[in-house]
This record gives sequence, C-alpha cells and structure tokens, in this order.
Amino acid sequence: MRRTNGIRVCRDELQFLFVNLLSFVGRPQRLMIAGVLVLLLTPMLKSFADVDFVGEIAPLLERRCLSCHNEQDQKGGFSLRTAETAIEDGYVVPGDSVASHLFEVISPGAGKARMPKNSDPLDTEQIKLIGKWIDEGAKWPANFELAESRISDFSWWSYQAIRRPVVPKLRKDWVRNPIDAYILTKLNEKGLTVSDQADRRTLIRRVTYDLIGLPPTPQQVQEFVDDSDPQAYEHLVDRLLESNHYGERWARHWLDVVKYADTCGYDKDKLRPNAWPYRDYVIRSLNEDKPFSRFVQEQIAGDVLFPGDPDGILGLGFIAAGPWDFIGHVEVPESKLDGKVARNLDRDDMVSGALNTFCSITVQCARCHNHKFDPITQDEYYGLQAIFAAVDRAERPYDLDPDIDKRRKALKVVIAEQQKKLDTIASEVEQAGGAKLSELRKEIKGLEVRVSFKKSAEFGYHSSTVKRDDSQKWVEVDLKDSVDASQIVLHACHDEFGGIGAGFGFPVRFQVAVDGEEGEMTIVYDRLQEDVVNPGLEPIVIDLGGRQIRRVRVTATKLAHRKNDYIFALGELRVLDLEGKNQAKGKPVTSLDSIEAPVRWTRRNLTDGEWPHYQDPDAAKTLEVAKRDLAKLNREIETPQRRAERDAATRKMTAARSDLAKLPNGKMVYAAATHFKSQGNFHPTEGKLRPVHVLHRGEISQQRGFASPGMLPLGQGLSWKIDTATTEGERRATLAHWLTDERHPLVWRSIVNRMWQYHFGRGIVATPNDFGRMGAAPTHPELLDWLAVEFRDGGDWLQSQSMKDLHRLIVTSSVYRQSSAGENSNALVDGSNQYLWRMARRRLEAEEIRDSILHVSGAMDHTMGGPGFYLFKLERTTHSPHYEYHKFDPHDSKSHRRSIYRFIVRSQPDPWMTTLDCADSSQSTPKRNETLTSLQALSLLNSRFNLVMAEKFAARVANEHDSVQQQVYQAVRLVLQRDPSDSELKAFSAYAREHGMNNLCRFLFNLSEFIYID
Amino acid sequence: MKRILDRRDFLRGTSGGFGSLALAMMLQEDACADGAVKVLHHPPKAKRVVQLFMGGAASHIDLWDHKPMLEKHHGEKSDFGEHVEAFQNGLGPWMKSPFSFQPYGQSGKMLSDVVAPLGDCVDDMTFIHNLVGKTGVHSQATYLQATGFQRPGFPGMGSWVSYALGSINENLPTFVVLPDHRGFASNGPKNWGSAFLPASSQGTAIFPQRSNPIEDLTPQADFATAEGDRAGLKLLSKFNQQFQRERPGDSRLEARVRSYELAAKMQLSAPEALDLSGEPAHIMKLYGLDRAGATYPDTINAAEEEEYFGRKCLIARRLLERGVRFVQIWSGNDNSFPRRNWDSHEDIERDHGPLARGMAVGTAALLKDLKQSGMLDDTIVLWTTEFGRMPSTQGSKGRDHNPYVFTNWLAGGGIKGGVTHGESDQWGYKPLDRSSPTQVYDIHATILHLMGINHKQLSVRHDGIDRRLTDVHGHVIREIIA
Repeated sequence: MRRTNGIRVCRDELQFLFVNLLSFVGRPQRLMIAGVLVLLLTPMLKSFADVDFVGEIAPLLERRCLSCHNEQDQKGGFSLRTAETAIEDGYVVPGDSVASHLFEVISPGAGKARMPKNSDPLDTEQIKLIGKWIDEGAKWPANFELAESRISDFSWWSYQAIRRPVVPKLRKDWVRNPIDAYILTKLNEKGLTVSDQADRRTLIRRVTYDLIGLPPTPQQVQEFVDDSDPQAYEHLVDRLLESNHYGERWARHWLDVVKYADTCGYDKDKLRPNAWPYRDYVIRSLNEDKPFSRFVQEQIAGDVLFPGDPDGILGLGFIAAGPWDFIGHVEVPESKLDGKVARNLDRDDMVSGALNTFCSITVQCARCHNHKFDPITQDEYYGLQAIFAAVDRAERPYDLDPDIDKRRKALKVVIAEQQKKLDTIASEVEQAGGAKLSELRKEIKGLEVRVSFKKSAEFGYHSSTVKRDDSQKWVEVDLKDSVDASQIVLHACHDEFGGIGAGFGFPVRFQVAVDGEEGEMTIVYDRLQEDVVNPGLEPIVIDLGGRQIRRVRVTATKLAHRKNDYIFALGELRVLDLEGKNQAKGKPVTSLDSIEAPVRWTRRNLTDGEWPHYQDPDAAKTLEVAKRDLAKLNREIETPQRRAERDAATRKMTAARSDLAKLPNGKMVYAAATHFKSQGNFHPTEGKLRPVHVLHRGEISQQRGFASPGMLPLGQGLSWKIDTATTEGERRATLAHWLTDERHPLVWRSIVNRMWQYHFGRGIVATPNDFGRMGAAPTHPELLDWLAVEFRDGGDWLQSQSMKDLHRLIVTSSVYRQSSAGENSNALVDGSNQYLWRMARRRLEAEEIRDSILHVSGAMDHTMGGPGFYLFKLERTTHSPHYEYHKFDPHDSKSHRRSIYRFIVRSQPDPWMTTLDCADSSQSTPKRNETLTSLQALSLLNSRFNLVMAEKFAARVANEHDSVQQQVYQAVRLVLQRDPSDSELKAFSAYAREHGMNNLCRFLFNLSEFIYID
Repeated sequence: MKRILDRRDFLRGTSGGFGSLALAMMLQEDACADGAVKVLHHPPKAKRVVQLFMGGAASHIDLWDHKPMLEKHHGEKSDFGEHVEAFQNGLGPWMKSPFSFQPYGQSGKMLSDVVAPLGDCVDDMTFIHNLVGKTGVHSQATYLQATGFQRPGFPGMGSWVSYALGSINENLPTFVVLPDHRGFASNGPKNWGSAFLPASSQGTAIFPQRSNPIEDLTPQADFATAEGDRAGLKLLSKFNQQFQRERPGDSRLEARVRSYELAAKMQLSAPEALDLSGEPAHIMKLYGLDRAGATYPDTINAAEEEEYFGRKCLIARRLLERGVRFVQIWSGNDNSFPRRNWDSHEDIERDHGPLARGMAVGTAALLKDLKQSGMLDDTIVLWTTEFGRMPSTQGSKGRDHNPYVFTNWLAGGGIKGGVTHGESDQWGYKPLDRSSPTQVYDIHATILHLMGINHKQLSVRHDGIDRRLTDVHGHVIREIIA
C-alpha cells in the first residue's frame, strides 16, 4: 500500500480544495496547481527537512526517473520506488551527495549527464535541489512510495455531463434563434455590439460557397437580389442543402480530419486504387443526411452492426484512411522487430484516428507514458489498441446493391444444401462399394490428370542445332521493369519429333540466373555439376522469396539430344510476383540463337502463356476401361432412387452455381479488414487477435503485461471495460456503441464544434481535435452544450442528429448574416472576433479556388463519384510509383472535375494545392492554415492549370458575346458575382484589347475579391 | 521571400493602432506564434546550413570509418557475439571495403579512396562515428533523420530553422531543396514539408534542369508576354488595393498585394541565382563542371555523378550567397532498379564507387569554395544518411542495412576541425561504447544551438503537445563546438 501516513490524506484534501477553487477561478494550469500546492504544503512539511521531499523531490523523481527505475523495469538494477531500494541499496548515501550514485548520474560533469537517458537533462536548479536533499540527510518519510505521475482529475469542462441549458430570453428582433440569443448575451456582457446584416449579393456568395463550395451564377445572384419573398434566404438555404454539391463540399472537411488519401504513403507510396468508395460513401452519407450515430457506428464497426448493408463495410474506410507502411508490413515479416514496430504504429494511427476524430482528445500522448495533462493512462491507451488487435488495412468486397447480396447468400445456401445431399449419397455408395470402389476411383483420378493434356500450336523456344552436346546456349527474358518475384517456373516442351514427346529439348545441365536490371547476374538455380533427370512436363519451380529482378537467363551447358544433333528448347518461362501473377507474359525474349520457325518455334513462344500439359494415349485407354468397370460396379450398388436423387441435386446445384456466376462480383473498398488476400509477408489475421502489450516508453522490445481491451473511463455511467474473451468484431462494436452513447461527454460537443468552426472559421473551442487541458476553453460553453443537446436529441429547432438541420440553424441565424466589415470600436475590445460581433472574412480553400476556376471557365464536368482523376503522369508503378506533376497536361478533360474527386498522393501531394494550404493527408487536419506567400501568387498567375483555364474562360465569354466590352462585362459577373464598375470595365477592356482576353482572364483569377469571401 | 509574407511578419513591421491589435489577435489564433524565436537564445555561430542527404543508406565503413579488422578477417565467417536481426539476409562472411583507405591532413584521418577529394578538407571536419538509428526500414529512417520523428506528419529541420529564424533575403525562398535529378528518395517531398508549421516554412524544391526550375516561376503559354505581365500586374495591384481600401483593418489583403510584388522580384532573382554561365573556369573545374557537352553511358558512372552533384553544390553556394538560409541536397532516388542510390544490397563497389566520387568532388568543392570566401565560418555543412551498412556480406558483394551504427560529419559554422567524436566498434557494427551513442536529436540540438536557438525552447503546440524538432531528447554536443 502506498502512503499510509497522514501526508496522503493531506495532499488529496488539498488537491480537492484547489480543484474546486480553480473551477471558479478559470482554466486550471497544472503548473499552477503544483505551484500552489508546494506553496501551501511547505510550511506544513517544514518539520521533515529543509528541502521538502514530498513536495519537491518526490514529484521530480516521479516525473523524470520512475518510468525506468521502478521495481518492474529496474533499469540499471535500480529502483527508486521506496526508501529501501533507493537509500538502503546505496544509490543514495544520506548526507553525502558526492558519494551518491544518483547524484553522479544526473550531474553533467565534463560532458552531458548520463541520466535521464534519452531525454532532456535536469536543469541546474533541480540537480542542486536533489544534492541539497541528499546532503541534508535524504529524509524519506516512512512507507512513502513514489508513484508514476498520472492525471486522475476529471474536473475539466469537456468531461462534465452535457445538460440542456436554458436559452437566454432576449426581446430583440435581432434574435432569430437560440444561437443569436447566446451570442448576443455574451456580446452584451462584453460591451460589444452586433454588425449590420450583410447585403444580399454578399449573403448569397457567402452561403453558396459555405454550403456547396462553388460560386453562385450571375442569374442566381440576380434572382435572389430581386426576390421579394421575406423567406427568400431560407429558400436559398434549402435549395443549397438539397444540392448534391453539398456533400461534395462538406465531405472534404471530414476527409481532412480522417487523413484520407489514395496512396499508402511511406516508402514506395503504393497506390490504393479502391480507396475512393469510402470517399463516395462520405459524400453520399452527408447528402442523405444520415443520422450522426449511424455515421459514426458504420465507420467503426459497420460490418458487425449492420451486416448485409454495404455502407457498413464502406464506412470502415475510415479506419484505413491514414498512412500505411508497405515495407514494414509486406516486406518485413511480423516476427521481426521492424515488423512489430510497423504494426504498433499502424494500430496507433487507428486509435488516434478514432479518438481524435470523434472525441477530440489526444489519446496518442499516452503511447509512451501516462498522458501528461489529461486523465489517460498508458494502460488505457493500449486497451484501445487491443480493440484493433485483429484488423489491418486491405481491400475487401462490398455490394452496392443489397438485393444482390441477399441473392448471393440464398444461392450459396442452395449450393450448400445440395452438396450435403450429394455427400450423403456418396457416403452411402462408398459403404456399399467397399475397397474395390475406392481403388477404382483412385485409379481414375490419376488417369484423368494424365489425360487432361493440352498443347497449343505454339511449342516454345528452340535453339539452332549443333553436333556436340557441350556447347553453351542461353535464352533470356527481360521483364522491362523490376519485379518483386516470388517464383520462376520453367516448363519443358512437348514435341513428338524423334519420338521424344514430353521434355523435348530440355537441357541436361543448366543454370538459372537473375539480376536487378544491370551488373552481374546472380545464380538462383544451379544444375551444372550433374546431369538432371528430364522433368517431362513437370514444371520446375524456383523460389525467389520476393527478390527484385529484372532479367531471367537460362543457360544450358549440356544440351539435349534430338535425332542426330543437340538442341536447347524450352516451352515456357513464367515469373510469378508476390500476388502470383505471371510478370513474364508477353515480355521480350533474347537468346544466343534460335531456329525461328513460327508458328511452332519462336522466341516469343517462351512467354506466350501457353505450355503443354501431360497427355498419355495409353492412359486414355486405361481410363476408359476403368470407367467402364466403375459404371458396372455403380450399377450393382446404385438404386434408381439414389440415381434420381443425385441427378436432381446435381441439376439444382449446377443451376445455382451458374446463377451465382452471373451475379456481379462484389466491388472492392480499401478498409479495415480481417480477411483479405495475402501479399508477401502481409497475411490476414482472419479475426485472430494479435497479442497487444503495454510497451514501456512505447518501445516494442520492452513489453510489459498484456493490454486488456477497453475505452476510457469518462464517468457518466458509461461502462468502458471490454471482456477479454470478446472477438475483434465485438470489441469494435462496443467501441462504436460507446462513441454514440447519449451520455458521452465528448462526442456530441466535438461534432457540433467542428461544424460551427467550418461555418465561422473558428470553433467555439478553438482546438477542434483537443478538448483536453492543452486545448482551448470554449468561448460560449452554454451555447456549445445547447447545440450538442439539441443536435443529439432533437428539439424545437432541429431533428435529432440531422447535420443538415444544424447547418440550417447556423446559417439562418442573425449572427451568420452579419456583415464582415470590421473597422469599428468593437475591434479594440475583441480584435480576434472570438465573440462574433461580425462575420469572419475568409480566403477560399484550395479546392474552392480550383473548382471556381473550372466552374466560371465553363470547363467543369460535374460527374459525381468513381475512381479519382490524376493530376500527374504516373510512371514506374511496379516498384516505387513516380507521380510526375510537371508532366501532366491540364487540357486533359478527365481532370476537369471537382477537386474532391482528385487522386490524392500522400507522399507527393499536388504542389498547386499544397501551396494553397490544402490539407496534408499524413496528419489529421481539423483546421486548415491560411497563409499568404509569393509562391501562391506565382501559382495563381503561372500554373499551367490557370493558363489553360484562362484560355477556356476567354473562349467561353467570346462564344457568348461579340464585343470585348461585353465579354469583359460577362467575365467580371462570372468571377465576382456582380456587375463591373465603370472604371473596372474601362480598365479591363483596355487591357484586354491590348494584351488579349486570355491574359485578362488570367489576371481576373488573381483578384482578391475572387479569392476572399466577405 | 515567403517568410516575410507571413501575416505575422508583415504585421511585425507595423506599429501601434489596429495593426498591433490584429497582431495580438493572430498570435492568439495561430498556435505557432509561441514558438517563433523573436530574440535569439544566445549569440549564434552560424547563419546557414547545408544538409547533404544520401538516400538509400550510405555505408560508413566504405567511406569514412576505416576498419582494419575487416581487412584482417575478410572472408571469415562473421560472428557478432550476439543474435543479429538483419533486415534481409546479409549476415555472410566479414567483408572488407572494396576501396582502400589512406590518411589525410594534419589529423591523419583515414578516408576511402572514393572520397579522396575530401582529403583536403578533413582538418575542417568533425566525424561522428557512433550515430545510432531506430529502424532499418528506409522510410522511417529517412523521416527520423530528416524530421526527428520516424512517422510522417512532422516538419523537416529546414522548416524548423525557417520558422524560427525567418528569411534573410526577400527574393528567394528561405529553405531550398535540390532533389536528386532522377527522382525522390523515400517519402519524397514529405521530408521537407512544413507539416503543422506555416506553409511559408516548407522547403521549396528547385529542379535546375526543368524549364520552370521553381514550380510556376514563369508562365508557359503563347499568349503570355513580358509586357502583358507587367501591365497585368499593375492592373491587378490597382484593383486589389482598391478592394483592400474598402475593407480597412484586414492586413491579409495588404500582404496579398505585396506578395505579387515579391513574386515579380523572385522571377528575376531565381533564374539569376541558378545561372552558372558567369562562374569562372577554375570554379567550374573545381566543381567538376568543366566537361560541357559531355555524354555519358547508360550505366552508373563517376563522371556523370560528379557533374550532377557538383552542379547542385555550386547552385547551393550561389543560393547561400543570396541569403537562402537552409539548403538540402539529395543524392540518390528511390529504391528501384537499376540502383541509383546508396542501397547497395548487391554490390557496394558498383553503386558506392560512382555515387561517392560524385558526392566527394562536389562536396569538397563546396567546402573549399565557402572557405575561401569566408562563408564557411558561419555556414554549417552536415553530411547524413538513413543508417549504415553491415560489416558482413550480403550475396557476394553487397551489404545489408545497419541501423545500429553509422556516420555523420559536420563542418563549418562553429564546428571543430580535424576531430573524430564517438567511435564504432572494431567491426563497425555498433558503437564502441554502447551506453552513450550519438542520436539524431543530438545532431539537431547542436545545429540549432550553433544558430542561436535552444532546441528545448523552439516548440509549437500541435494537437495538445508542444512539439519540437528534438521531441523529448537531444543534448548539444559541446565537444565538437570550436
């Protein structure tokens, strides 16, 4: 037991006192608590020693030493847990700091201090303090044990239960809904005043970009400005929320947070050709206004909770969205440390992805030690890893049409039933037929293999003939690119010439060598020392274990006898990659010489995918006899009833099989998976849970006990432990339920805060991924809670968990409709506008700029969904794909689609988009940066995309209008959603006349008014 | 140029009134503001850094770290005295270097013949032979050396330096990257990305051989003319200023107008910085660039490597002269075939020979050139790689990965000359003193220290953690500081 003396009580009581105190004072700071504690404890503890062990030394040792020097790890054979182990074992010599080992290792001496190892050294004051404590006798209260520092204080705003607050009652016309009431109350409190409502042109531009990410057309602006209906704005909002473009815009926000990309990242950065169905799932879910709980549950455990629903599998793209280390999984086996590190980091990404996204807590800080600021222990962190212990990221099938899935299942049932019937009949027959029957069957099976011979007209490669068997000949296949090869397979020829048949021309002595595209060949198969037995038509398989090769050369040193001469012939050479695909097929063949006598004999026959299979005419005859014998025996055994039953069952089964084959195959999505096709060393767990250990300092080589699965203890009556006997699916399902429990204090606040932030440019909590003590405090805590409850439960203002209703509520508020003009006395009080006395002006995001340029230039193809389009030229895909942006032609109309559908390369992001602050898919981006650089100016002026679009834009207005002035007029209306002023019209027209409309259009894309939304 | 346009920097130049209020607002908004170094923590010794990064993992024992024991026991069964987990299967017999070693300089430092051109410089260099890594996986190891973390999502050292110290020129990027002309090493541009730091601190890749050496530097369209661009920029400036005047108090709009002025300046200064035609003949010769119009065979060869690496080194010097703060030069592309990087699993001599020769000629020229102009005094040159290679054989002539020990060297900018700090064991398998190896954090801490920055004080709050280049590690290596 720890701290049996009175000090513990004393400290705890004081801590309790402070926490209560601080909850009134404001945001508690850990340092402040510590500081105040020390201050108050010091006089009480004076009697122990001059240096206060409990208040000063113990916390220091706990924080900086104990994680290694405890009784469990005992690094250097040294534990600081108790006075016995620290003092009595001689590491601390009371009264003599110079003789104390502890003091020696923390002192810098000549160079750097030896301890703390791999960490920042203690500062001079701390070292002095420890020295003083030792010199004063190293007083250590009896029975006082050090404990690893951990935060156990849940008295922080975000962990408190959410209760529906009472909406302030304000009798003002300005208040359209409760949002206005909360905001206005706070403004009044702060002595701030609201801004005017924005004009209609500003409003339609603002809300259109905000909800669908595209500009309104000049017609739409005109109609809205002229609309006399008092509900015109509400109708506009309804129209925008009904548009499918809404999902395209808001899915991008979600994908920023979940790190979505179409490649794996890390070394090689392999493609994920089937990541996009998850992206389309997010777009569709938002457009369908899917209830938020359902949206969460599908993304964590949809396969378990909604079996048969494709969305349940598509949603799991969430877990797989982040980076994945191909080398660490496919090339390095899980048994090696590097393989284990890769899998640990992979689970870390899943855990942090789920908890950052849905709970806004930085759980990943507890991977190496207890969380330093929030109440999350290392054990709890690894408990979360244990939930993902059996899942990997891989492709798995889903069906878009649930009816098809239903039919597939039904047909499979039919097949299984009929198979069972046939099995029963078969076993009855077996019993009746006895030993004779099984012998006959075995014979027939063997014969049938030999009879199934096939040979094409293309025999293979054939060298020229020589008179001696000892001349050397070679044939070589160039794979044209390096291949990760698992096997080379050689097939001999079959030619009846000279009565030889199978194994025709196969060398008596030979070797196989490979290389990695240049330099010397490495021998991988050596039969040079002894004559080999002709393999006939048995393939020769050479294992390469994933080695990278580019060329394969077979060299014969002792040739095969033909009639009166010697030759080297080979039917087929196959190179199987890690997925078993033949990479040699159709690849060029060179050789020392060749008789080149097509169709039968030519070099290219070596890689034509055709080789002879065994045939034995005698076997066919024997087979017939055996079959007759079997039929006779069967007639003796079988009854007409049995025959009829079997025929019926076979018929039904065949029909079901053929129906099944006609059903469309399940399409693939890259998602969390337990069953998938192996690739190199990357094998499916098939649901078997990997052991997850708590790792000391996050080091894979320093395993502590097994982690027990669980979530986080958040109180509120939420249970958080998971039985260790649960399956992996049950674990994820439990997590999904926990994340959508109405009592959860974080989830509901997290999502409404994210949505608020995207509308206003700043969250009620300014750190949307961190509601912990290192994050920001809410500016409007009651409003946050009111939104969370109203969103969760529904109420007067919105339907339960309808994201569209929440958008509607926000954008129809008076707060949202304010002008963004900011030069007034409010700015002196609240320059950052955190209390929203005006609307925030914002720069368009990278995607909005690109989409707007496509839109106004008339090039936009609005096709939704499907595989991502490339903005680069893709080269050298077999090894490390090269994504060559500078070789891409922006005229390619396949790329003229909305930016949400672009193929996102994780390690080589699009330079144009990156310059404009688009999200980095290597990390969760809850809020984009907004920077201003001269590289942005260059991108918008000179990128080939902008230049091509400027031409298209100019052609569009020229097509619609004759005079330059009319063209300029229309161009300005399209870009800025307003008519040009006289001075603009004059200056722009003059420029266009002198330098062409192309150039004018190019510069219009650079106007601040185009890039900024008031 | 980029840095100066950061909102914060822009505002720093204004005084009083709404400007400083807005600054306060942005500092509050922008979590990064806490970390930027407004006053250096101590007097600096260096202003600039050149980081030479060898992609694929260059062998310490074939270049810098001479091992007589391998010569003595060449061909004998290797015995490490403990279980070794090789990345592939490279635990064959001990293998001596295919290159011979000679002593150089006053310090008598032993160097391999393939890096002999650096023999003249050893008395300006500090070698650290006891670097240890954490992983033998290329990608993670590259991240670790480039960003201090073995996962994606962290800023490169150059970004931290740019972020902390800002620009010392107006017309060029603060942090420039010269990638291998054949392609990117592991992780590509993520090695120099700004991650959670402002985009203005990211590395700008320059491809001298492309028509636009900096992305979008000039318009590639028939209709674009110099005259049209000048007039267009004037027009743009007029209406963007009008837009700004109508929205007083929004400093971003003013900064945006200025960004176009600076872009125009960069259009002039960048091509000038990359134009080598004015370099005198002896300088071209020094950098191995005196074979204009030479053609090269398809297979890897030393002459071609000299030309490509030398060109990057000379461009680096020109950029440093013009106020670029951090230049990162890469040697070696991805791990595909034929090998054009240092990942010599098959044949050390074949790949390391030409790559090392090219690197050594260019690097020696850069060190000498910087020294003669006095710039080496406040420019740190760091040579690094992913990890080392095993003293045992892979196949018959190659070496497997060795994350357990490898070499870095530094020169200039307050670094001692002619010094070896930290040694590897007799085989070059692990550090001689396993209890006190050097880690990348120590290298990073030392470089920041020389630039006047305390590595523990340069931090940025990101997702609840105060992130820094050195994570929770790092000791300044005082022994190598002059």
